[in-house]
Amino acid sequence: MTEDVITVKDLVKVYGNVRAVDGITFAVEKGEVFAFLGPNGAGKTTTVEMIETIRTPTSGDISILGKDVKKDRMDILQRIGVLPQEFSSFDRLTVEETIQYYSRLFCVDCDVGRLIKLVNLEEHRKKLYVTLSGGLKQRVGIAVSLVNNPEIVFLDEPTTGLDPRARHEVWDVIKGLKREGKTIFLTTHYMEEAEVLADYIAIISKGKIIAYGTTTELIDSHFKTIKVTIKGGSAGIGQLAKKMGMAVHSEDKGGITIEATGNEQVVEFLNALKANGISYLSMDIRKPNLEELFLVLTGEALVEEEAAK
Amino acid sequence: MNARRVMANLTVHLKQFSREKSTIFFVLLFPILLMVLFGFIFSDQGSSMGDLHIQNVDGGFHSQALVSAINGTGLFRIVEVDNSTDANQFFTDNKLNVLVIIPAGYSDSINMKLWNSTSPQANLTIKYDESVSYSQTKISVVNSIVDGMNKGLSGSVDYIGLDMDSVQSDEWKFIDFFAPGIIAMSVMSSSLFGTVGMNTELRQKGILRKLSTTPLTRTEWLLSNILYQMFMSMLSTAVILAVGMGMFGLRPHINLYMVVFILLCVFSFAGIGMLITRFVKEAESAQAAANAVMFPMMFLSGTFFQLEMMPGFLQTIARFLPLYYVNEGLRAAMISLDSGIILESAVIIGIFGLGVFVLGVVLTSWKDE
Repeated sequence: MTEDVITVKDLVKVYGNVRAVDGITFAVEKGEVFAFLGPNGAGKTTTVEMIETIRTPTSGDISILGKDVKKDRMDILQRIGVLPQEFSSFDRLTVEETIQYYSRLFCVDCDVGRLIKLVNLEEHRKKLYVTLSGGLKQRVGIAVSLVNNPEIVFLDEPTTGLDPRARHEVWDVIKGLKREGKTIFLTTHYMEEAEVLADYIAIISKGKIIAYGTTTELIDSHFKTIKVTIKGGSAGIGQLAKKMGMAVHSEDKGGITIEATGNEQVVEFLNALKANGISYLSMDIRKPNLEELFLVLTGEALVEEEAAK
Repeated sequence: MNARRVMANLTVHLKQFSREKSTIFFVLLFPILLMVLFGFIFSDQGSSMGDLHIQNVDGGFHSQALVSAINGTGLFRIVEVDNSTDANQFFTDNKLNVLVIIPAGYSDSINMKLWNSTSPQANLTIKYDESVSYSQTKISVVNSIVDGMNKGLSGSVDYIGLDMDSVQSDEWKFIDFFAPGIIAMSVMSSSLFGTVGMNTELRQKGILRKLSTTPLTRTEWLLSNILYQMFMSMLSTAVILAVGMGMFGLRPHINLYMVVFILLCVFSFAGIGMLITRFVKEAESAQAAANAVMFPMMFLSGTFFQLEMMPGFLQTIARFLPLYYVNEGLRAAMISLDSGIILESAVIIGIFGLGVFVLGVVLTSWKDE
């Protein structure tokens, strides 16, 4: 049995004459990692802050753990944890003191040591916040969002501005939270992050949800083809592919991308390469990823808007 | 309201403060500078209001008494003008702003008046330059001395004794009158700018946004901030008093009233600071707004300039400024111990501070921070 812990219905937020969030409806199930994916300015943070009860919706309904955000604000705050966008804390408190401070605000006795271990900050517990690197600061932020042992954790752009290694370390922490059974609402503009972490994805653009589903569902529903990218191949690859009825996407000095309709066509194509004695440096066979999906989707949305004008 | 959350915030503020050496340095430096600066300005020359020219044509007992009474205030350096000089000529030639002339027969007139109250009163002539506002201040001082002498002569012996004492005694120096103003100003500026600075910084860093997702209420936040500013103000007051007492022989009364006025001052101005940061979100504009609040207070509340020097409408405005009552109250608490002024000022600032606090709680919320 699954249970919806967040339900959002027809949510709208208007600033002046800009509809930052334009009629959004979705639900998040208990225990899943839900990724809210979209470019900067799409309305992600506005939406998540309305769910976190710190912004007032223009219209629409939000219910968290069965409570209405308008009526039961304090109740909800006790049961959720929030890592705001661009989290920062008091410069001259240590990691330990920071976590302690936030737990006092919730008036709970939290096991600071356990949280520090959970976010892998054992060696840094006595360091002042100001001396930490970006990745460590984000991990302190995640620990702080857990002081009240929340049922839902909101992480707004948790890895923005981090280097790849720090990003992977934050991901490991988030995976750990998932193992603990927390529901995680992740806001991000990194497609890769959503791919790696999310069970369910909603893609938002210009205040509207334009796609909604699991990664596989999203890709399968929008792409029927498999991409074969060949680099350093000898001449005649493009012609061969065209002869076999496959679309040839890009052909420049570096390489060539061919779209196959399915696994069988890929095998046929590989055999044809071998039969024709064509050599190559590298070959990459894969389904399109979220990155490409997003480009396709927002490209469509853009065209639609221009047509409407 | 939850005391544990208020204390948690207070602890954080104190740790933040005590761990930054440069902050400690500047927080302490400001009151030290203020006190040292004004201490030297007002104690070194002794006669802080400059020269007062007196032509004593009379030369009798009562005129001598008047001159020594004026001298006894220590506020002026008395310059005797020779009886033979033409007062008008002397006044113009030397570009004086005030010249007090004790006419011939002054002492006799007073003696006559004492003998027979229906006889005409003795008159002093004061020539002054209207275009120099400072001359008004000098005159008001002379006036109050004459007033005191009048009361003394008219017979209510007890009352005079006290009054003359406070004017004549060497116990108080001008710096003593000035110190309460310095304390009030330093407390005002530290609570106002401390609050504005801290809140805009925390907003810019996104810490306020994080706090808005915790059960911390605005009232708790406001209160913990005020408590922290109270601590800071006590610290700077202690510094001012230490410097004043150590370097300039300041001898104020230090009592509970004084503490009450400092706390009320913090309450009012930290509250105003909270309101400013609520409505002016940009750090620089918030600083400018705080300056706009502080400067009129500084100049109109009698800290640097005597109110009597100002045009009537400014004096009226001053009566509506909270700092004016902090000044009045502190001065009364530290010097005259006038319980009437202490009570009145405390009630007025108390009401003002409470009003600001309530406005702060009602008008501000974490939402849409």
